[in-house]
This record gives sequence, C-alpha cells and structure tokens, in this order.
Amino acid sequence: MPKCTIDGKEVEFKPGENLITVAKRAGVDIPVFCYHPGLTVVAQCRMCYVEVEKMPKLQTACSTNAAEGMVVKTNSENVKKGRAGTMEFLLLNHPLDCPICDKSGECDLQDNSYGHGSAYMRHSEERRTYVDVDMGPVIEKNMNRCIHCTRCIRFGDEIAGIREMVAVKRGNNVDITTIDGEALKTEYAGNYADICPTGSLTLRDFRFRKRAWMLKKTASICEGCSKGCNIELQHEGNVVYRTIPRENLEVNKYWMCDEGRFNYHYTQDETRVLEPRWNNEKTSWEDSILAVKTALEGKKVLFLVGTDLTLEEMSAIREFTGLYYPGSVLQHFGTPGIETSAQDQPADKILKMTSKTSNLRGAEKLGIVPHNPRVDHDFSAAVVFTGGRAVLPELGHAIQVGVGVFLDKDHQTAKYQHILPGLAYTEKDGTIINHQGKEQKLKRAILPRGRSKSTAEILMLLANKKTKVGVA
Amino acid sequence: MSVEANTPVTKLFEPHFWKDSNRKLEYYLDKMDGYKMAKKVLTEMTPDQVIDEVKKANLRGRGGAGFPMGMKWSFIPKVDKPKYLVINADESEPGTCKDRQIIRYTPHALIEGIIIGSHAIGCKHSYIYIRGEYAREAKLLQEAIDEAYAKGYLGQNILGTQNTLDITIHRGAGAYICGEETGLLNSLEGKRGEPRVKPPFPAVSGAFACPTAVNNVESVATVPFVMRMGGDNFAKLGKIDKSGGTRLISLSGHVNKPGVYEIGAGSMTLRQIIEDLGGGVWKGRKLKAVVPGGSSAPVLSADEIDVVYDVEPLQKVGTMMGSAAIMVCDDTTDMVKLLLRVTKFYAHESCGQCTPCREGCQWMESILHRIVHHPHDGKAKPSDIDMLTDIAGNIGGKTLCALGDAAAGPVISFIKKFRPEFEAYVRGDVKERVRHA
Amino acid sequence: MATTGKVLSEKFYTAMKKLEPRYPNKKALILPALHEAQKEHGWLSKETLEDVANYIGVHPAQIREVASFYTMYNLKPVGKMHLKICTNVACCLRGADELMEYAEKKLAIKCGETTPDGRFTLSEEECLGACTTAPAMMANDDYIENLDINSLSDFIEKNKGGQA
Repeated sequence: MPKCTIDGKEVEFKPGENLITVAKRAGVDIPVFCYHPGLTVVAQCRMCYVEVEKMPKLQTACSTNAAEGMVVKTNSENVKKGRAGTMEFLLLNHPLDCPICDKSGECDLQDNSYGHGSAYMRHSEERRTYVDVDMGPVIEKNMNRCIHCTRCIRFGDEIAGIREMVAVKRGNNVDITTIDGEALKTEYAGNYADICPTGSLTLRDFRFRKRAWMLKKTASICEGCSKGCNIELQHEGNVVYRTIPRENLEVNKYWMCDEGRFNYHYTQDETRVLEPRWNNEKTSWEDSILAVKTALEGKKVLFLVGTDLTLEEMSAIREFTGLYYPGSVLQHFGTPGIETSAQDQPADKILKMTSKTSNLRGAEKLGIVPHNPRVDHDFSAAVVFTGGRAVLPELGHAIQVGVGVFLDKDHQTAKYQHILPGLAYTEKDGTIINHQGKEQKLKRAILPRGRSKSTAEILMLLANKKTKVGVA
Repeated sequence: MSVEANTPVTKLFEPHFWKDSNRKLEYYLDKMDGYKMAKKVLTEMTPDQVIDEVKKANLRGRGGAGFPMGMKWSFIPKVDKPKYLVINADESEPGTCKDRQIIRYTPHALIEGIIIGSHAIGCKHSYIYIRGEYAREAKLLQEAIDEAYAKGYLGQNILGTQNTLDITIHRGAGAYICGEETGLLNSLEGKRGEPRVKPPFPAVSGAFACPTAVNNVESVATVPFVMRMGGDNFAKLGKIDKSGGTRLISLSGHVNKPGVYEIGAGSMTLRQIIEDLGGGVWKGRKLKAVVPGGSSAPVLSADEIDVVYDVEPLQKVGTMMGSAAIMVCDDTTDMVKLLLRVTKFYAHESCGQCTPCREGCQWMESILHRIVHHPHDGKAKPSDIDMLTDIAGNIGGKTLCALGDAAAGPVISFIKKFRPEFEAYVRGDVKERVRHA
Repeated sequence: MATTGKVLSEKFYTAMKKLEPRYPNKKALILPALHEAQKEHGWLSKETLEDVANYIGVHPAQIREVASFYTMYNLKPVGKMHLKICTNVACCLRGADELMEYAEKKLAIKCGETTPDGRFTLSEEECLGACTTAPAMMANDDYIENLDINSLSDFIEKNKGGQA
C-alpha cells in the first residue's frame, strides 16, 4: 500500500482516499462542515485546510486525495490562520443564540469555533436575517443559523432522491429552502437534522425536550423493518428522547427513515399496558399467571410469535411450548402479506423493506412457520407473543392470551382475556437477523417500564410447577 | 523602459472593425481569405499537427489566465467519448469588451477557428456560451453561423470532408461567475453557474462529463491567422517570449480616445498605450492610477506604468494582464469610492458557494460603505483600513475559484497604494473629495 | 402529448422542440427554456416556472434555484421598458452615478422600482461589456452607449408616450 506523511506520521492509504479519511487513520481529526463521507465532495466550507508540501496555497483536505510520498501538515500556523479566517466568516452572520438553540452541545459550528476560532469579534455590521418557511412536521428551519454547507441539498439530491431542498438566489443572499415553503416530501427528512452542522435544521420531535449533553446513548438496532438500520437510542431518566442513525456501511450507511426514527414513541405511549390484565382489569402477576395456566390447562393451544421478537425470545418460546404444551403449534406473524423472506423486498430505492418487523429471518432460522389462519379452528386457545411492532392477527378463539407490548389505543386489548406485559425493543438485549442474514444486537437502553417483565421471566413463571393450578 | 515601435505592427482584427458589412461571409471570404485554412486543416493536417502549429505560435489564452492554448488542446484525451470545444463568450470582467468586437465584426474568424479547433480535439458539437446581455450580439453571431451552415462549412460533411460539426449558441443570463470555465460548464448544463471542484479538470470531465476545452473568443478567432501565417511567423508578432501574436486591448476610463486597440503582444508599455493609443488622460488632467487587466487586477499608480504590457512583465510588478482591459483614472478620481464600487461588484457576483467569498466580499463591501458614506459620524474607524487588508488576505488564495482572488487583489492594492485617501476618510477629512468625471 | 402548459403557449413548446436535438440531455435546456418562457410575459411567474419544470421533467424547486441565480430572469413583473444602467468601474469613471441620479429623478422612482404606469423599470447593472463606449445602459435587449444626460433624457422622453 502507498504511504503518505501526516503531521510527521507515516500512514498507509488506498488510492482514491481523501486526506480527511487518511488523517483520521493517523489519529488526526480535521475539522469539517460541508464534507460528509456519504455525500459528494464540494469543498465549499473551506474549513478543512491543510498544508501540502510543494503546493503554494492551502488545500482543502476533503477534495485532495492522498498521494504516494505526500507530506501534509494539518497544524501549521498557516493552516491555523486559514481555519480561523473561515470560522470568523462563518460567524459573521450566525446569531449568538446557542443558549436557546437545540443543536447546542452537539453543534459542529460550536465545537469548531471553540477549537479553531477566536474569542473576539471584529464584525460590527448588521447581521443578515431571513424569513423562515414552514417545512412540514419533521423539520424546523432556522435559516439565520445556516452556514450554507449544502449538506441538506446534497442529501436530498443524492440520497433521498428528491431535489426539494435547494439554494435560491446567490452570493451572500443564498437562501436554502423548499420552493415557496412547501412541506418536505421525503420519508427520510429526519436525516436533514442529523447532517446539519448547525441548528438550522432541527427535529421538531426533539426540540426543547432535552439538552443534547444530558442524553445517554445506547447503540442498538432499529426494529422498524427487516433492514436492521444501526441506531443510537438517546435517553435520560428512563425516557427515550431520540433515535439517530449509526454508521454501518454494510447496512444503512449513515441514514435511517423517519418511520424508524419515530417508531420508539409507541413504547412510551400512555395507553401501553404496563400491568398484567385479566378480563380488562388490572391484576397481580401472581393471579395473572395462575389464571393463564388454568385457562390453558388441557387445551390444544396455538402459540403465535411476532417476528418483532429477538432470536433469544423466539428460541425460548419454542423450547417452552415443546416442553409444556406438547401437541400445540408454534407459528409466526408480523407483516400482513409478507410471510416469508422471499416476499420481503426493498420498499423503496433507499433503505425501507416491505417486512415491517425486524426478525422474519430469525423466525425462519428457528424453523417456525408462518401463521396459517385456516388451522385456527383446530385450537381452542391462542397465546400471542409480540414485541409491539408486529401487526396482531385477527383471532376467533375463546381464550386469547397476549404476552408482550400492547397498546389500548390500538383497540386490540379488549379481545384478550389475559395480557402479560413484556418488554419493548428499547428495554431489552437480544439478537435479530436482518434481510441480508446479518445477526445484529439489540441493546437495552432503559429499564422495563411499569410492571412489565422480560419474555424469559414470564415463561419461567408459566413453567413453574409450584404455581398451583386449579386452587382458587 | 520603452519598447522600440519601429517595426510596423500587423493587425489581424482591428482593420475590420466598425463596419457592419464586414461581418458578412462574402467579406470574410474575399478580404480575409476565409475558410481556406479550415479546408486545409481538415483535408491535409492531423489533429496533432494542428496542435503543434498552435504551440509554435505561442498563442496564450486571451480570457485572463494566459494559459498556452496548444497545451490546453493537447490535454484532451483521445478517448471514445464525445469531446466538446466550448467557447467562452461570457466577457464579463469589468473593463473588457474586445470579444464583442470580434463577434460583431469578424464572427466568421471565430467560426473558422472553431472548425480548426474542433478538428484538433475531435469535437463534433461546439457550444458558444455568450453572456445573456449580449442579446444583439448573439443574434449577429447566429446569422453568421446560419451563413456557414448554408455554405456547408458546418453541419454534416463540412467543406466536402467526412467531418461533422455543429455549433450551438447558449445564452447566459446575467452572472459574472459564468466566465469561470467550470461555472460556465454548469450553466451550460442547466445548473446554477457555480464553479466546480477541481480536479477533475474540464479536459478530463467537462461539459456533460466529457473531455472539454473551454477557450476564449479571441483565442479561437486567432487560430485561422495562426494557420495562415504559420505558427513561427505568428509567434514573431509578439515582441516578448512566450507570447505570440497580437492582443486586443480594451482601453477605457479617463482617456481621450477610449477604444479596442490591437497591438503586437508585448510591443508597447502601458504608458505608450495610454498616451499613443488613448491620446493621453482626458481633460488635460494628470494620471493617478491604472487598473491594467480588468477590475480583478491589482491597481498600478501613475509612476508604475513604464512596464511592458504583457503577462510576465505585469506579473513582475505585482499585477496581471488578465483580459487586457485597461481602465485609466485621472487625478480627480476618488479611489476609496472606486474601491467600494469594485468590491460591491464582487459581492454581487459571488456565487455563494464557498465561505470566504460569500461572507468576506459582503463584509468588505459593508465596511467600505461605512467608510464612504459615514466619514463624519465616527462609524468609520482607523482600524477599519488594516482590517480590510486582513480580511482580503483571508479571502485571496482561500476560495474554490479565482473570484476570491479577484475580490481580494483590488482591496489590498488600493489600500497599499492610496492609503492616505483611506486615512482621510476615516479621519472625517474628506473636504477635498471630488466626484468622478 | 400536451403542447401547451398551464400558462406557456404553443410557441414556447415549438421553439424548444427545435432546440432539443442540440443538447445531449433535457436539463441543459433549462436556461434556453427560461429565456423563451420569459419572452411570453416579460417575467417568470410561479406558474411559468412550473410549466418549465414539467417540460424539462424536474422538480419545480430545481427550476427556481437556477432561475434565481441569474439576474436576467425576472422573478417579479417588470415595466415595458427595462432600463439597466451600468454603474461598474468603466461607466462609473465616466459619470454613471450622475446618470442614475438623473434617471431616478426623471422617472420619479428609485433604482430597482417600476413606474406606477408600468412603463419603466430602472435597475443598476453590473458591467455590460461596453466599457470603451461608457457609460452604457441596456434598454430591454438593446445597448445604448456613450450615454450622457441629454441622450438619456431624450431616450426616456421618446419611450414615455408611445409603444416601447
């Protein structure tokens, strides 16, 4: 492999790699605004200046590819002056509203200003201001904060496939906007907020709810479809506040869809069942377990698992049913019309898959077959395990037991004689297999809510012989 | 230093200016041996021979950068892709109006140049990007192109050969930055005229992602003369190394006889041009300053004009020849106001892509505006002057395209050479201030 | 195939049809299309831009971003006679500022405005490339060069009453 030198360190590189990538490998962080590894290089912000030996002018590291024997300095006086100049220019018209800006604490402009800017301001002219437009429900726009990096324009054009965010006018008056303030149409709009290096585009869903630096971060996997986008759950005080995508070049690159981003809300819905229920009444775990065991005693039971459960959960359920309910049947459900992995296809050209649950491949791996409603009448009782995302099947059994995440607002809970509250994807560890057959790990971000219990615990309670049956 | 002007200067274009009928095809055929070279090149010369001849001619680009034209053409790779010869007729560097003369009076020289250039680089469709304001000129040029099509000089089997060549005029719509070759290419492709990141250079990936040579009108219109005279003879028209042929100079501002003049490259000093061609400073006034190469060129003071007017000598005195547009300022000129006007232009024309130019040009304009319009109320401060120079230093050499340099150069040079005038403003001492003209 | 849009006439589509073979893709026709479209009403309304977008086959936002980059595309209505006085260096050295002041007074509008009768719009223009015949101005598509207060006054008078 060819080599170049960055700040005195020799680094190997693959031909075609730019200096930002190569420097990172050498442990050198070059500040950027417009550069984003998932978007085309435009070299507009002029922040990533470096000095390259034998080149008279400062070069932008984003648009300069490493070359054999190249000697690069990222920290010379010349570089520092160049970056300080850029920082000064960027802040000329940027409002000093960090205390009320949601980006504060995770803002590239703030960080780079601190690292490369000056504490003093020479600018005494009036600041440029804009009238903002409404961009729809996902994104809040504050053009005064914009530094014209055009990441959003390129994201729309190159990733979302719709050039709805554009630059109008020119020069100092450039306004980055949708046409006449139309709402954003892309179903990936949340990414605009992620990639915006300032507080110009923020997430309406997250605004004013938490300061960025208070959030704890847990790396997990989205359960919104079989893509298995890598995400970070951001939470504090046992409440999830935000989901953002995590880089995984093999799966979702840097992005995620809005459906997956806002999916977590149902797990914190106020109508979520968080206590065991028996005929729509709150009850204790003890009474509930007893009652379920009694109800299933001697019955031919249909067990259904949602493909929104983890591999570990499905496996435990399979073992449990085989041991304690021989003669029963175990089938899976999840997305109507998508029963097998062959039917699971890309739903758009970006990320979304047609299977709206995360672990169809996991169920298939365990040999669990799809739910077949034609055999429903062979069983007098049904037990439905769900993570909360799978679409519950319409069942006509006399006895229906639900285990997992149920919401009253879905108008399904009344059909279940028993509900044993389980854990949502934000509350558990486990493995899911995405559409590529890749095993990925869910990580628990927050503790179980209410009195809900893990699937394993519920199964153990149901299996416990000491829990006597039939004694009222 | 002065240059001996005893050898009679051959003028290629100037004798044909100012008469409307000269733009007709008949005139070009009868009086200028028109299209004979195109025929010769297509039938007798290989592309490499054409390029060699142009190299021998020392023909430098006439648009502003002065890059050797033969070299530019030789960069076009011989790949199996369409190749484009794009003519830059955006002529928007303030002070410049020479290409307009060629379009108005010798359009067929341009068309013949395009035929020859297209053969050299393997182009089958050439675009002429003409600034939007030149609406009448675009019409005249289209008439000339139509004449050439009618005669079979353009289209299929041109001049009785197997070659195909189409020419399309593409009108700009009011943007200085489209004179920058990659901004021009974006504009040709139907985009905002924002300059592109280089590399890739247009020779590799230009118009429609294909190899492209972008050449100035004068450069291309000169090529038939190169072929007629032979590269060596053409080179000798220039009186200085590296610069062959003649240069069209746009002389404007406070001279008695403003106009477009043609001189052998490097055959005159700036003083000779102003005095001998321009008839000296108007109204019997004294010279104060000269902007020697379009408004982007750093200004020269009155005592700096004994310099040979060509690329390298001007570089040596810290300025540039650019598009050969000379703007003369007499001793009543308010240099501070003039700099405000220049800076306002660059702020207006900044495309807005890159930070130093977008933010910095506007900032410099605001400061200069404050200095010029508020000399008496304390809003202009003595520290503003050095701050302007410093800001210009943070723009020059730091931007994606050359517009940043173009905006920074005047600020730095005006302040350096006319500092007392700036100081008078910030002191509030501008009683002696005089209007232009 | 529709030959007319919401506001653009058949003339536009016929003109564009002739230009299509001259470009390798349709997007390259955006500038010519905007020039052609502007001929119809003298400016580019939202509906006109939408027609152009439909014709080219792109999102209207893309047309807006291009149109707004160039000063010659009028995104607001302009007067019948659009006077653009160059005030850049070469013209400014030869009295363009006075001409602008005079035009403002004579037309009783500020630079950038249109007379109430819709006859004149007055703008400041960057370098027109007529520097050796400065000062210069554009009156619609025509250049008027070697301008002075008398010739400017005459021009305005001449175009005040009858057809521009």
